[in-house]
Amino acid sequence: MAINAVARDTVFALRRQIAKIEGTLPERLEVPASFDADRMLVRRSGVAESHGLLSTGADHFDAALNGGLPKAALTEFHGVETRDAGTVAGFALALAGLLLKPTGAQAPILWVGTAEIFREAGFPYARGLEANFGIAPENLLYAEAPKITDALWIAEEAAGLSALSAVVLELRGNPDRLDLTATRRLHRRALAAGRPVFLLRQAAFAEPTAAPVRLVVAPAPATLRNTMAGPLDGTIGRPGIAVTIGKSRAAQPGQFTLEWNPDERTFLDRTHAGATHQRPWDTQNRTKDPVAVVPLSSGGTDPAAAARQVLAFPPRQPLPAGDQPSRPQRPAHRRA
Amino acid sequence: MISHRDRNAQRIAALDERAEALRLKPGMGIADARAMHPAIDVVEADPQADLRLLESLADWCDRYTPLVALDGADGLFLDITGCTHLFGGEHAMLDEILARFFHQGFDVRAGIASTAGAAWAAARFRGRCIIAIGQEEALLVPLPLAALRLEPAIRGSLESVGLRTVGAVLAAPRAPLARRFGIALLLRIDQALGRQDEAVSPRLPIAPLSVERHLAEPVTLIDDIERLVLLLATALKTDLERRGEGARAVALLLFRVDGVVTRLVVGTSRSMREPRLILKLFQEKLTAITEDFDAGYGFDLVRLAILATAPFDMHQADLADAAEDSEEDLALFADRIRARLGEGAILKPVAVESHLPERAVAVIPYWQDAPRRISPPKKPAGPRELPSAVPYQPERPIRLFQAPEPVEVPASEIPDGPPRQFRWRRALYRVAKVEGPERLAAEWWRKEEPTRDYFRIEDTEGRRYWLYRQGFFDASKPPPRWFMHGVFA
Repeated sequence: MAINAVARDTVFALRRQIAKIEGTLPERLEVPASFDADRMLVRRSGVAESHGLLSTGADHFDAALNGGLPKAALTEFHGVETRDAGTVAGFALALAGLLLKPTGAQAPILWVGTAEIFREAGFPYARGLEANFGIAPENLLYAEAPKITDALWIAEEAAGLSALSAVVLELRGNPDRLDLTATRRLHRRALAAGRPVFLLRQAAFAEPTAAPVRLVVAPAPATLRNTMAGPLDGTIGRPGIAVTIGKSRAAQPGQFTLEWNPDERTFLDRTHAGATHQRPWDTQNRTKDPVAVVPLSSGGTDPAAAARQVLAFPPRQPLPAGDQPSRPQRPAHRRA
Repeated sequence: MISHRDRNAQRIAALDERAEALRLKPGMGIADARAMHPAIDVVEADPQADLRLLESLADWCDRYTPLVALDGADGLFLDITGCTHLFGGEHAMLDEILARFFHQGFDVRAGIASTAGAAWAAARFRGRCIIAIGQEEALLVPLPLAALRLEPAIRGSLESVGLRTVGAVLAAPRAPLARRFGIALLLRIDQALGRQDEAVSPRLPIAPLSVERHLAEPVTLIDDIERLVLLLATALKTDLERRGEGARAVALLLFRVDGVVTRLVVGTSRSMREPRLILKLFQEKLTAITEDFDAGYGFDLVRLAILATAPFDMHQADLADAAEDSEEDLALFADRIRARLGEGAILKPVAVESHLPERAVAVIPYWQDAPRRISPPKKPAGPRELPSAVPYQPERPIRLFQAPEPVEVPASEIPDGPPRQFRWRRALYRVAKVEGPERLAAEWWRKEEPTRDYFRIEDTEGRRYWLYRQGFFDASKPPPRWFMHGVFA
């Protein structure tokens, strides 16, 4: 039901007053379902679609963003230098991969970029995206535009399509074309279609744009690989991502070090991990773990029965550096 | 005067009336001509430009018939069977063609006959005439042998025995002619007289469907052209419906008054017959060429041709207009981008069975099906629910450089070991953590490609890279080179 402008104005004024009394921001107040100020209601097959928030799985990060990233909006991801492009793209694609998960994914993700950025930062590699974020090659589309005007045009046309699950637009630097008007057009279309548009800006500084949320993404060291004998020195495990909330109407600024788990496809909050999550290299808990480390063979006698006892006890001191875990060892403690 | 190079000498290839009046002749040496008349203006011949001009003329002649063929370097064949009534008969059509060419500044000779050979002879030796069926022989008899489109060698040997006109050859008995001068001579005679069919192969494939509109007043505005496209597309729709087909490729031909033909082609990902959608694609195309779009004095003929068709599957939409058209939306979106930005604008990755990283994914245009030589990776056999059936996935970067970038590695601990620091794009990176090597060799049938040892490397700031060393360390050879191939998340 449409609410007329006067009533809307009154509601806004009241919200501001309540927020003042409660000592918080008006955006952080709970919004009743019937009144949705900034979003458009889209009905498909008579059922209203709810564009909620995309929760990353890292509790403190989500809480700082007031529940997560808006699903139907333009979101900016900034990288300070072009060499950070891998991390920035990885973070955005991980979020896009999270979007795919609940539906089972038929709608593809479109990655729009100029020829310049694909040459500078590398072309998206479907095998790696599948292994890291679970985005199958058939759910990916690329658009390579010769000029920035064309890239913006493609992104604008794509942002209004409900046949895509997300649009990723990657640009470099601070071009004049990408001003308040251009970003506002992208944002309005994303609102109308109910699909996110991720704007990746490599080697750019913050400018006024229409995007409600801006995140500054930087790389952080990866964890060590976890083996049965504890963390292995010198290995590269789950990638770390340092995220700073640069701008958000609802959030307080803050810095978080997230960690992407490619096996479970969730983020972990490394700075607050102790409170909510078990640290992956928590060897003290591991030794108490009653689960058999080596699986029983199915049927017949177990020839490794004698050896199992020995294998169950990890060595007390970590292995020397440079020693690699053998390949079959690694998937053994994937929790999936 | 135009010169060309023939047997190491500059000779006259063509000349105008004023040069002819100076008693210069084609084939004469340029040096001789200059000696006679020092003031002559000589231009080098450009056969490629001549051919381009002839092709553009052929495009323009498309307005009379879709069957236009090039004939050598200076002629065009127009198969006007069944087209003459559109222009008011053969005489009116011949007059119109000659008048239009004259106004464009060309000196053209034309002839109409029921065989290609007779028309060729009539155009070159009679000029502006129409040869009725059965009159070919009467036309050819007084003409010289050149009218028969013979090779110079055959013509020379015929003339050497005194057969100087077509009539003389026709009067001679056939069998000795064939024995002495070859079957080619009789073939040309039979073709000219209509005893044997001659196929004129058209320059462009014939469109299965096309509609056109001749305009009394030429149009110049893009808006008018768009309105015409919609009109023509609506006319095509009923034909497509009757055939049960939709268009896969549509061409728009704009004939400018001064003879320039603009040809715009759009392709579609799925068969389409809706006029509004066809118009949408052409709108993108017209927007894309808007900088070098020159309407000049206007277009007097607009033609919409369907170049390729495919079966059109109808499906009924439900009342709520559900989200089933989302795939159609996507196809239309891809077509519009293709129409504006070209074939390679929207791409999709296809997994290929190969262990070499750059060959493991093929990137092909959106509307193409994967070629058959690309075999998709095999799905692991056996029940999927067992965790052991999950295939081992090697660690792969999320971005890959299109060409691996060379990296300078000053020193590594052991010759075949990982680098401790490296220089990439003139910046120095210190290595904090290393995993590897992962050794990837080319397939056995590509022996010449060296083996690569891949290392996953994390620098001190936490960025993760994929470096490889090409080849092995060997004391007698220069040290192997290092390359940056991709970046991880």
